[in-house]
Amino acid sequence: MPTVAVLPADVADQIAAGEVVERPASAVKELIENALDAGASAVDVEIFEGGRAGVRVSDDGSGMDRADALLALQRHATSKIRRAEDLVGVQSFGFRGEALPAIASVSHLTLHTAAERGPGTAVRVVGGTIERTEEAPRQRGTTVDVTRLFQNVPARLKFMRSARTEWRAVADAVTAIALARPSVHMTLSHDGRRVMTLPPAPTLRARIGAVWGAEYAESLLAVHDTHNATTVTGLVERPSDVGTRARRIHIAVNGRTIRDAGLVRAAEAAYRSTIPAGLRPSLMLELTIPADAVDVNVHPAKAEVRFRERWPTERAVEGAVRRALGVLSSAAAVGPRVWNGGGAGAGLGAPAYEAGPWNGVPPDGGNGSNGDYDPRGAPNGVGAEILRALASRGDPLFEAADAAGAGAADASRGEAATEIAVPPLVQLRRTYLMFEHAEGVVLIDQHSAHERVLYERFMGALEGGSMASQHLLFPLTLHLSAAAADAFDTHRALFSRLGFEAEGFGGHTVVVHSVPSPHPRFDAERCLRETLDALTGDRQPGTAARHERLAATIACKAAIKAGEELSPGEMRSLFVALARTTLPAHDVHGRSTVVRLPWEELERRFGRR
Amino acid sequence: MRFTISREKLQEGLAMVAASIPSKTTLPVLANILIETTDKGIRLSGTDLDIAVSTEVTADVEVAGAVTIPAKKLTEIARELMPSPVKVATAGEQRVTLECGQSKFKLLGIPRDEFPTFPSVRFADAWRIRSADLHQLISHTVFAVSTEESRPILNGVLWELRPDHMRMVATNGHRLAKMDVPIAGGGAGSSDLIVPPKALDQVRRLFPAEEDLEIARGENHLGFRSPLTSVFTRLIEGPYPPYDRVIPRDNDKIAIIDKASLSGALRRMVIVASDQTHRIRMSLNTGMVKFSVQTPDLGEAQDELAIRYTGDPLDIGFNASYLLEILRNMPTEDVRLTFKAPDNAATIEPEGWSDPAKYLCLVMPLRLVD
Repeated sequence: MPTVAVLPADVADQIAAGEVVERPASAVKELIENALDAGASAVDVEIFEGGRAGVRVSDDGSGMDRADALLALQRHATSKIRRAEDLVGVQSFGFRGEALPAIASVSHLTLHTAAERGPGTAVRVVGGTIERTEEAPRQRGTTVDVTRLFQNVPARLKFMRSARTEWRAVADAVTAIALARPSVHMTLSHDGRRVMTLPPAPTLRARIGAVWGAEYAESLLAVHDTHNATTVTGLVERPSDVGTRARRIHIAVNGRTIRDAGLVRAAEAAYRSTIPAGLRPSLMLELTIPADAVDVNVHPAKAEVRFRERWPTERAVEGAVRRALGVLSSAAAVGPRVWNGGGAGAGLGAPAYEAGPWNGVPPDGGNGSNGDYDPRGAPNGVGAEILRALASRGDPLFEAADAAGAGAADASRGEAATEIAVPPLVQLRRTYLMFEHAEGVVLIDQHSAHERVLYERFMGALEGGSMASQHLLFPLTLHLSAAAADAFDTHRALFSRLGFEAEGFGGHTVVVHSVPSPHPRFDAERCLRETLDALTGDRQPGTAARHERLAATIACKAAIKAGEELSPGEMRSLFVALARTTLPAHDVHGRSTVVRLPWEELERRFGRR
Repeated sequence: MRFTISREKLQEGLAMVAASIPSKTTLPVLANILIETTDKGIRLSGTDLDIAVSTEVTADVEVAGAVTIPAKKLTEIARELMPSPVKVATAGEQRVTLECGQSKFKLLGIPRDEFPTFPSVRFADAWRIRSADLHQLISHTVFAVSTEESRPILNGVLWELRPDHMRMVATNGHRLAKMDVPIAGGGAGSSDLIVPPKALDQVRRLFPAEEDLEIARGENHLGFRSPLTSVFTRLIEGPYPPYDRVIPRDNDKIAIIDKASLSGALRRMVIVASDQTHRIRMSLNTGMVKFSVQTPDLGEAQDELAIRYTGDPLDIGFNASYLLEILRNMPTEDVRLTFKAPDNAATIEPEGWSDPAKYLCLVMPLRLVD
């Protein structure tokens, strides 16, 4: 007797269904995607008991006639592709012809559809078997009603979580699709109560405003950058906000929401040195890449994709985010309103729905120590952008939230060496520099700003070359503690690249022959001592991390301090040097170097509006 | 107190003292000028507690006394008065009236008791020095002092007084200037003083070159005195670094260069040099020096100059602003530069200088990056 047998079709379908439909949320996702693939402009989702009792998805898409409706319930029946070649560069969400039959095989499903207004078709399926087909009038579109999900799959049923947990997963799945398709009207109700109403939104920012509130949406920074064939758009969190609220991740590739730890890590790498280690920013990024450069047929639920070339894609993401963080509007704002309110679209309602921490993203280990920092690798245009952002009036970049960004950003790339116009600067409390900008009053923390300038300069020296080093007439003799002497020995080669040339003198004594001279008030001995104290016992793994740590420490010790009076010339050169850095608005400890007080805020406080 | 003084004399005296009065101070009386009557007129004094200046001008004294008046207001009034005699009188300890023609002022002063007393310096065994010699020393060295506050000792100028010569040395640890002038019969014994450059600037401003000066040392103050004017300054404590040990004796590569051409080339290079280090490269070859500068993000520049040089080829980096500053103070048309190696100090001296003084400047190189 043969021991190998072909499985009956219904068992095979149940197994396949297990891959595609693992919980109510995945059924909801598949059904909404079908609706969108059918060209729906409005999708209504109703959930009962977290989906355990029922799921209903209605759309106003193209609908089906009777023959198609019946065919659609068969496995591998699809309207979306015809040949294997169509798989390359497939644009629709689905294409496998699996979702609907899979759901049908594990539930009681009613498909109610009409291709035209008028006579429609209603098909009732129980556990994969068509039980009844009848004529039923309907508007153009499709409604899929799913009840008793997994009732015939005890193994799966056992693993269903509480209604509350399943509901959260459904809400997250709907939100993810809502962000990917802002132009589609979507509603979501739970047990008859409307919890989310999302009108068609012109931009991602407007959609985020509808989901999580306008204030949240407006606090995000616009990303818009094209690198080779990859366009990265979206919104990311201002460094000063990171860690102050729930972290949200949304990554979409060609309109498809995916999970990708690599892209998240790349975006996080762009934040390095602007936020404290361990904090993770919220990211809403959409990548547009040529369809043939990405394979979406990797995962049954298509939650992951495979890039033909992963590294350039990650570089593009990192570059785009870094560029977004480099503009003045990324600086912390004073007051409730943010600088760049224009992009959010008017008339956003109050938040309709507040999601918890994002559940759909796997915890990935973005430890920030791999990946190489390269200050020269950052887009050259940043300096020029800042120049305009900081110095000119009515510059288009402030309005370039979504639409105009690409052109302006590209245009500015070639003009890095442009002179930077310096506005009149005033020093306050020997600590802050203040100047007037078209959008309001801007304050610069002189220590933080100088720290950022020196950090990038030291980083440049550590990564590729060395600092100018002034030989001393009278060598410095430092008597160090054992630990500091040890720290010096560990970092000796790096110190030399930074301009500190020294030799041991027996015991823990070090004689320094030459020192860097980053500014005329530089106190080399104190800087070296304090840096060594800070590095004591430091064991950073990896070269890049060690470089960053050393550069940040020395920059902090070498920078001018709060309380030092600056001459007008010094203020100007600090301003120019800051404007030329890649991330001028953030210092190396994750604090702000620049704070903006918008006119609106001043006017509000003076009762002018 | 009551006296009458010409407007010119009043202005002359105020101009001498005003520069020693601090513009910002936490001690209100320091913003005032002290006026005291003397045998021949009045004495005006001001101080910022580091440096004190005092000068005497002729006036008709009717009643002796003393008072302090806000220096800034008094200077402004004196400037705007008609050119007529000015009558000044006190009423009580603080009130001062000032009359000139039809103009009348009443000012509120501060009693003289609150004005700090001047440091006591005994001029009995003073050095006697030609003001011109002192001027020469000051103007050639004071530029090299350190402005950075971590080593206060380098914020002063070392002044070595010897029986037959005196020397001033100033350095910021990167470059150094040193000058010696012979003196005839200085007076008191040898002494090493570290003097704040601000005081030396005052000395240069207040004492005309043709005057003879008396200089005397108190416990930690130094006094300069001419018949009418005196300047007192706090001295900086501590041993000056052993500068003599770092002045190279064995620099074997010698270049004679036209100062104006050298300055011109350096000024051209510095335009493209980094704002922070002003780093330029000099490549010396027989009969020729090439300059070059490369600054990332900015660009590069080259220049060259015919010179007198016969040593081995040498590439060496410098902070061009240090070189330019030194050249600005070189008294001759040609300068003599000596080198040893890219890590060793270079010297610059006047070439063919007939003056009895001796002048030497020294610059530490910058590390070159290839």
